Amino acid sequence: MEKHASECILSIKDVSKSFPGVKALQKVSFDVRRGSVHGLVGENGAGKSTLMKILSGVYQKDSASGKVIFDGETIEHTTPHESMQRGLAIIYQELNLVNTMSVGENIFLGRYKEMKGMRGTHTSARELLDRIDCTIDTRKLVSELSVSEKQMVEIAKALSFKSKLIIMDEPSSSLTAEELVELVKIIHQLKDQGISIIYISHKLDEIFDFCDVVTIMRDGQIIDTKAKADLTRDEMITKMVGRSIENEYPERPQNVGATLMEVRSLNTRKLHDISFTLKKGEILGLVGLVGAGRTEIVRALFGADKTEGHQILINGSPVRIKNPNDAKQAGFGFVPEDRKLQGLVLPFSVEANISMASFDKFTKFGFIRKSKESEIGIRQAKALAVKTPSTKTPVKNLSGGNQQKCIIGRWLENDPRIFIMDEPTRGIDVGAKYEIYVLMKAIAEKGGAVILISSELPEVLNMSNRVLTLFEGRITGEFNPQTASANQIMSAALGMTAGSGKQ
Amino acid sequence: MNKQLSVFGVGQALFRNYVLVAILALVVVTMVVEPNFMTAQNLINIMRQFGPLVMVSLGMTFVIIGGFIDLSVAGTISLVAVVTITLIEPLGQVPAVLIGLGVGAACGFLNSLLVLSSGAVTQAEALFITFGMSTVYSAVALMYSGGSTEHMRNVTGDISIIEALGQGSVGVFSVSFLVFLVCLAVLWVFQTQTRMGRAICLTGGNKTAAYLCGVPVSRSIIAIYTISGFMAAIGAIILFSRITTASPVIGAGYETNAILAVVVGGTTLKGGKGSVLRTVMGVLLVILMSNCLNLLGVTPYMQVVLKGAILVLAIWLDNRTQL
Repeated sequence: MEKHASECILSIKDVSKSFPGVKALQKVSFDVRRGSVHGLVGENGAGKSTLMKILSGVYQKDSASGKVIFDGETIEHTTPHESMQRGLAIIYQELNLVNTMSVGENIFLGRYKEMKGMRGTHTSARELLDRIDCTIDTRKLVSELSVSEKQMVEIAKALSFKSKLIIMDEPSSSLTAEELVELVKIIHQLKDQGISIIYISHKLDEIFDFCDVVTIMRDGQIIDTKAKADLTRDEMITKMVGRSIENEYPERPQNVGATLMEVRSLNTRKLHDISFTLKKGEILGLVGLVGAGRTEIVRALFGADKTEGHQILINGSPVRIKNPNDAKQAGFGFVPEDRKLQGLVLPFSVEANISMASFDKFTKFGFIRKSKESEIGIRQAKALAVKTPSTKTPVKNLSGGNQQKCIIGRWLENDPRIFIMDEPTRGIDVGAKYEIYVLMKAIAEKGGAVILISSELPEVLNMSNRVLTLFEGRITGEFNPQTASANQIMSAALGMTAGSGKQ
Repeated sequence: MNKQLSVFGVGQALFRNYVLVAILALVVVTMVVEPNFMTAQNLINIMRQFGPLVMVSLGMTFVIIGGFIDLSVAGTISLVAVVTITLIEPLGQVPAVLIGLGVGAACGFLNSLLVLSSGAVTQAEALFITFGMSTVYSAVALMYSGGSTEHMRNVTGDISIIEALGQGSVGVFSVSFLVFLVCLAVLWVFQTQTRMGRAICLTGGNKTAAYLCGVPVSRSIIAIYTISGFMAAIGAIILFSRITTASPVIGAGYETNAILAVVVGGTTLKGGKGSVLRTVMGVLLVILMSNCLNLLGVTPYMQVVLKGAILVLAIWLDNRTQL
C-alpha cells in the first residue's frame, strides 16, 4: 500500500454516484501514476464529467461507495476550494475566469492579501507564467485574451496552488491547430515538473499523440485502462461505442421513396456548407458529438436560429423559412432537445400542451372553442397512449416518456411531412423508448420523413435508413447503417477519416 | 371535480384563497375595533380609491401573466393625466380623452418595442427597461406641464363626461365602477376565451416552447404592454376626474401598488398562470388594508413597511406552493 501511494498521485476505488433515477457511475476504479499524462475518453454521457466533479468536490460520491485517495490521503468530503488547496486543479471546458479583471488578479483571485497587494500579485503571476513559457502581460484584462491564452492563465492559476494533478476537461475543443501545439508543449513541461495530468478529450488523435495511459469509460463504468502502446485506435473506438445491441428496436421503415426535401449550402457561424437530401419514408440519422452541429442544423431548418442564404426545396419547390411558424406551415414538426426547457409549458394541462401548435384547428375568429381543443387533446392522448389521469392534468405530473408523447402528439395533430426529433428518448425508460421508435417509424411509413438526432449511437444505427456524420460543423460522411460498421461511423463523427463510407 | 370535505381539504382551500381569508379577517377586526369603518362615507371612499388602482392592476395582470413586468405605469399615468386635462379646453372632452388613451397605449407600445428590440427575455431585464421608461414618461409629464398642477376648475369647456366619471352614479353604482365592470368583462373574455389571450399565457409559461410551436410570442409581448399602457391611461383619467386636479407626479407609487395587488391576488410572477378576477381581489385587499390601517391609526410610513412585507410574503408563498 505504501509503495502504491508513492507511485500513484490519485487512486479511485469502486466509486459510485447515483442521481434520482440514474446510476451515473458504477464502481469506477482507476489509478493515475505520478508524472503521467492520463487520457480519459468516452462518449457523451459516459460519466467522465461526473467523475471529475466528484474529484473536485462539486458532487459527492454515494456515501457507502468506494474511496478516493489523493496523494496518499483518503478524501471523504471535499469542496472545490479544499481540493484546490490540496493540489488538485480542474480546468473546465468553459473557463472560469473573471473577464473584467487582469491576468494577475485572476491567477490570485481571492488571495490578494496573501500576495501583499498588487505588486506581489503581478510579480508572482509573472513567475508562474514564465514556468510555462507564456509571455502574456499580467496586467492585461482577461477579456482581451484568446481562448488559448485564457487556458494558460488557468494553468498558471493551477500552478499557483502548487497543484500535483491538473485535470483538463476537453481543453482542445476550441483551440486551433497551432494553439494545440502550444498546449501540448505546456503539458510536456508540466509533466517534466512532476505534475500529473488527466486529459479528457473526444479527439482520439490527441490521446494517441501525448497520453501515456488511456482509460475508456462507457455508461458510467470503466471499460478498460491500458498503456497507450498496448492500445489500437480500433480497439479504443470499439470499447467506447461497443454496447451490445439487443432487440430493443422495431424494424426500420421499409419503403424509402423519392426526394422529399433538399437542403443546399446551409451556413451559420457553426455550420459550414451543409447540403443533404431527405427522402420520403426514411429516417435520417445525424451522428456527431455534442457541439458538432447536429442541433444547429435542425434548428436552422426549423427557423429557430438565424441563417445565411441557404436553400430548402420541398418536393422540388423552394420554401422560405424565417421562423418556426413558417416551418410549421411548410409541414415541419419539431421535438426539441430539452423537453422541459424547450418543449413543454410545465404548469399547463396535457391538453393545452398538445393543442399549442394547432391554434387554427380550435379557434374561430380569434376565439377559442374549448370543446374542439378538448377533442384534440383527447384524440392525441389516446392515439399515443399517453398515461395521464385526465387531459386536464398538468403536464409536469407526467413521466418523461408520457411528456415526450405529448410533444409528439402536438405535432402529429398537424400531420407533419418532415418530423425533426432531437434526442427524443433522452431520460425515458426502455418501454416508452420502444413506443417512440414505433411512432417514428409510423410517421415515415405514412410518407413523411424523420430526421433523428441522438447521442445514443445504437439508437441511430438501428432506427435510421441513412446516417450523416458531422464533425465541427461539417458533414464528414454518409453511411448506410445496415452495411457500415459502428466503428466506421464513429470514426467519421470523430473527424478521423474523411467520409470513406460515402455511397 | 370531487370535493373532499376533509379537514385537510378545507385547510388547502383556505391556503389557496388566503387573499380572501386575509380580507375578511382584516375587515372583521376593523369593524369590531373601529365603528367608523362601516359608515357610508368610508365605503364610498373605498369605492373611489378602487377605480384607478384596479384599472392599472388589470393591465399589469396581463404583463405578469405574459412573464414580464411593467414599472412604467407610474410615468404613464402622470403623462396621460396632464396631457388629457390640458387638452380638454382646446379640443373638447371627447377628443382629449381619446388622445389620453392613445398616449397611454403608445407608451405601452413603445415599452414593448424596447423590450423586443433589446432582446430582453427575462423579467429582470424588462424591469429595468420599464423602470427607465417610467422616469422618461414622468420627465415628459413634468416638461409638458412645466411642473405645475393642472386644475379642472380652470377649464372652461364642457367637462360633463369627466365629471360624471368622477362623481356620477347610476343607481347604487358609481359610473367609474360601471366602467370597471365593462373593462373586467372584456379583459376576462380576452384572457380566457381568445387565441391572443392563450398566446399570452403560453408566452408567460414558456417563451421558448411557445416560439418553437409557432405561437406569436412577439405579438403577445406587444399586446401585453399596450394593454398595460392603455389600462393605465383609463386609470389616470378616472383618477384625475375624481380629484379634479392632475399633477405631473400623480402616478407615483401606482406601479408598486399594482404589482402588489396582482401578486397578492395570486397571479404568479413566474408568468403563465393568473387571472384578472384574482387581481380584483388583490386590489380589494390592498385598498381595504390601507383603509383599515388608516382607521386604526397606523402611520403611513409603517403602512409602506407592511405593504413591502406583504409583497415579499406573497411571493414567498407563491414560490413555496409552486414547487
